[in-house]
Amino acid sequence: MTDELDLLKKDWQKKEEHLPKLSFNEIHTMLWKKSSSVVKWILIISILEIALPQLLYLMPSMREGMNIYKEAGLSPYFLGLSIFYYLGAIYFVYQFYRRYKEISALDNAKNLMRKIIKTRRTVKYYVIFSLSVCFVMFLIFAFFIYFNDEFLLSLEGIAERAKNVSLEKIRTAAMLTMVIGGIIFTVLLGGIYFLLYGLLLKKLKRNYSQLRNLNV
Amino acid sequence: MNKELEHQFVTELENNQNIVHKVCTLYTNDRDSHKDLFQEITIQLWKAYPKFRGDSKFSTWMYRVALNTAITLYRKSKRRIQTQDYESVIFKIKADEYDETEEQQLKLMYKAVKQLGDIDKALVFLYLEDKDYSEISETLGITEVNARVKMNRIKNKLRTILNP
Repeated sequence: MTDELDLLKKDWQKKEEHLPKLSFNEIHTMLWKKSSSVVKWILIISILEIALPQLLYLMPSMREGMNIYKEAGLSPYFLGLSIFYYLGAIYFVYQFYRRYKEISALDNAKNLMRKIIKTRRTVKYYVIFSLSVCFVMFLIFAFFIYFNDEFLLSLEGIAERAKNVSLEKIRTAAMLTMVIGGIIFTVLLGGIYFLLYGLLLKKLKRNYSQLRNLNV
Repeated sequence: MNKELEHQFVTELENNQNIVHKVCTLYTNDRDSHKDLFQEITIQLWKAYPKFRGDSKFSTWMYRVALNTAITLYRKSKRRIQTQDYESVIFKIKADEYDETEEQQLKLMYKAVKQLGDIDKALVFLYLEDKDYSEISETLGITEVNARVKMNRIKNKLRTILNP
């Protein structure tokens, strides 16, 4: 077998003359083309993940919504949660930036893969954190709906309905809607996120586990 | 200054482009993907070039970045269905240079190598490029012993593919 592989080696080295040849200009234009590496995609997706919740808040209807909660006495909770969320987000952005900077194509293959996976893991923790905060938010709403009739009635359309249906029923229904809505929202966003990264990093993970298994 | 760096880089890459073409041949199955991967490797090399300061040979440094791009960073390897008519130049065997059995054997060998996984291919590639085990292990981030063991396993794997 060694002989066969050496035969291949000889042939391989003879093949150089048949390889394509690019000119100086052809290579030069390539320098300014856009990279489509996984690292770049991780960066793009991560920026979107961090920016999207903020953009949502900038929408006028969302801000109006917040005013209702303010009047109902929800704002201390909301403020507390916001501070907690932003502290967390800043921490994750910083961690992400630090790890992203460490990624270099000059590293050996195993280190490179390890660092990419580590960077991605930071984003994963951020997403889990961010979805948890989001879910807690839903729970706070549900709690207020159940225990604060004033808040419940201030919600759009509820006072109208309360004329026909008992408040008890509305209260339970609204609370359940909040909890179930929260679960669906969290699971859906989480699912999309994990699917996206799963597809993006499938090859990388397979190769990394192969390299890692070599060193056992 | 930047223009100078650009010129210097493109000249070096132009002179050493064979390395990149060989990696592309191993890791892609059609002309478009070959070009695509070549471009991505060029971008990665260019991005890393300011950090390259002649402590190793340009070509040594290229092996690392090119393989890293093919194995780890490149994303579109399976975008296209393998086209029947495309057979990369490097795998074409010239009939007059070899006797028939040898030619047949080489063809089978190339086909077998193409079927290997990404990491196995990288090992075979470095081996074919006449790199020693210390360089292979450094490029991939594994120990020298493991590189040897793995290479032997690949040889066995190829043997089974060739003699079923």
